Amino acid sequence: MYELKTLTEAVIKGDINTAVAETQKALDAETNVNDIVDKGLIPGMDEVGDRFSKGQFFVPQMLRSAKTMQECMRLLHPFMKEGDITTKGKVLIGTVKGDLHDIGKNLVSMMMEGAGFTITDLGVDVPPERFVQKAQEIEPDIVAMSALLSTTMPSMPVTIEALEKAGIRDKVKVMIGGAPVTEKYAQEIKADGYASDAGAAVTKAKKLLGVS
Amino acid sequence: MKPIPIPTLLPRMKVLNREQALAIHTAALEILEKTGFKMEHPGALDMLVGAGCKVLSDGRVRMPAYLVEEALASAPRQTALYDQKGSKVMPLVDNNTFYGTGSDATFTIDVETGQRRRALLKDVANFARVADALENIAFNMSMANPDDVPAVENIYVYVFAEMVKHTNKPMVVIADRGKDLKMIYEIACLVAGGEEEFQMKPFILNYSEAISPLRFPENVMERLIFCAEKAIPVCLPSGSNAGGGAPITLAGAMALGISENLVGLVVHQLARKGSPFLFGPNVSTLDMKHSVVSYGCPEWSLTQAALADMRDELYGLPVWAYGGASDAKTMDAQAGGEAMFSIITSMLSRCNLVHDVAFLEYGFTSSLEMLVMADEFVGMSRFFTDGIPVNEGTLALDAIQRVACGEGSSIFLMDDHTYEHFMQAQYLPTLLDRSHYDAWEQAGSPDLYRRCNTEAKRILSEHQVEPKSDSVLKEMDELVRSL
Repeated sequence: MYELKTLTEAVIKGDINTAVAETQKALDAETNVNDIVDKGLIPGMDEVGDRFSKGQFFVPQMLRSAKTMQECMRLLHPFMKEGDITTKGKVLIGTVKGDLHDIGKNLVSMMMEGAGFTITDLGVDVPPERFVQKAQEIEPDIVAMSALLSTTMPSMPVTIEALEKAGIRDKVKVMIGGAPVTEKYAQEIKADGYASDAGAAVTKAKKLLGVS
Repeated sequence: MKPIPIPTLLPRMKVLNREQALAIHTAALEILEKTGFKMEHPGALDMLVGAGCKVLSDGRVRMPAYLVEEALASAPRQTALYDQKGSKVMPLVDNNTFYGTGSDATFTIDVETGQRRRALLKDVANFARVADALENIAFNMSMANPDDVPAVENIYVYVFAEMVKHTNKPMVVIADRGKDLKMIYEIACLVAGGEEEFQMKPFILNYSEAISPLRFPENVMERLIFCAEKAIPVCLPSGSNAGGGAPITLAGAMALGISENLVGLVVHQLARKGSPFLFGPNVSTLDMKHSVVSYGCPEWSLTQAALADMRDELYGLPVWAYGGASDAKTMDAQAGGEAMFSIITSMLSRCNLVHDVAFLEYGFTSSLEMLVMADEFVGMSRFFTDGIPVNEGTLALDAIQRVACGEGSSIFLMDDHTYEHFMQAQYLPTLLDRSHYDAWEQAGSPDLYRRCNTEAKRILSEHQVEPKSDSVLKEMDELVRSL
């Protein structure tokens, strides 16, 4: 088997060129695609996550590593068979109706993607019916909502209600976050989880889905 | 003939030279001409196009530099805020710096229990009353995003009415859209005794935010245009924090934030020439470990000092700034250090209106103790920036002669000169502890947090805010109930 250590290190360093070249070499050496992912890329991202949580890594370094992994995955994609890659979970995310702020939401998306989740981002100002429609279409494990303004927070329970009416509330976990949002508010509107920042959102999502 | 008095140098800080200021301004103009912006308010878009902006095929608006220069020329340089009794208490001209609280903290440190809890309407009242009492706190913001308002869509009207009841100082107000802002304005006119009276002596300033990078939502522009039409002083920062809404490098973040401010200013001056506008893009930094916008970082202090320099070099408009806040979770040494850092630097650079005093946890939590502490820090900073007056009285040669040549027991402490000058010659702290160790220990070893807590509670129990007339309060209650 092709030695994947250099690939893992390139993911940790966020060295896209080396990582892509190593992925290609591994493919050329007829390494199993799943091995490249599980023994090359994922251990790198795990190390990155670990260093980040210890305060040794900064957000831009983690995002660069995630981008490095994505570039490698792009190369591997044509060689994958159906059901080859197990995502940690599918996440449908958006900023709620009336709210146009997206930095926090984007950060959560990127961190979750980096941690192995598959993200569908509906953008900003997302009305409840759009959340419902997309949830019916892609059947996500998690519906995640963001709000920066206290005046747009009430869109969150309305969206949860819309999911209930559509009969899909019990098929998804609902996560919420944003500056005015609190744990207490999450309980009041019967969301399944609240996270105070992007890192906590990843931890919470893993916990809700029982994955590591 | 009397000798010419020796002028006093008032210590002042500069962080940009003219070349830097011009280069940042030029970059801001280039952003508007080349990158352009998204204008989502149809009326504002019409005004901009009518004035010479172009909408290109990507839907983004390009603004020629001359529109910016025209708006800078028509905006007033002598904006002032009045208190609610009609006194001109905040002349926002170049050398004056005024401090006040912030808005919309989700939590507060409860003054009785010391615990962090969700903010309530009563906290708005408490902050307004304590700020009303503090000498160095010039204006109020709500400080809270209260959990117990009857209807969240009118939250800004409820917090405004609460402030009206509990302070007579000027206020900076937030609104969600045109409707609640109109109601706030209606109440403000009621307090001032009529619309004309309010417009002559405005006591509110509206704080509104565009969205970085370069996005101008409809409701934000609706508020801006309303304020222009009613001559309500306004500012429009955009969250151009370095690394989040704007580039990580401060020069680029400033250029972007300033370009966004300039779009606001152009729309504002097109809506009504001569309406008052405060300049200030809020260029803080996004923390690279925790992805929060820092309220204690040196970067924000540096960029607002730079903006004050750009005011002096180019813009001439009063500067909106921040200070007296912290990222710490409790009022600890970090909170003290960060609060003082932004207070003294904003004063040394002569920022005009400094908000966010008394924030902890990067603006998520408010603390009455922080407010009381900041009052002392502003006093210390003020003493420092007053410089060292040099004249016959302060050189004190007579006193030196008396004491040096006097009896063996002569000391300056006993001399009349000391008695006559000590109140002005020294900063006399009220909360900072300089007591002897034993006395401090006997008093229960109170740290600054405890002393500030005691002082905040004393003000809450003793300070009487001069009440509004019954008829004003009654009419205001009726307006609020009609929501």
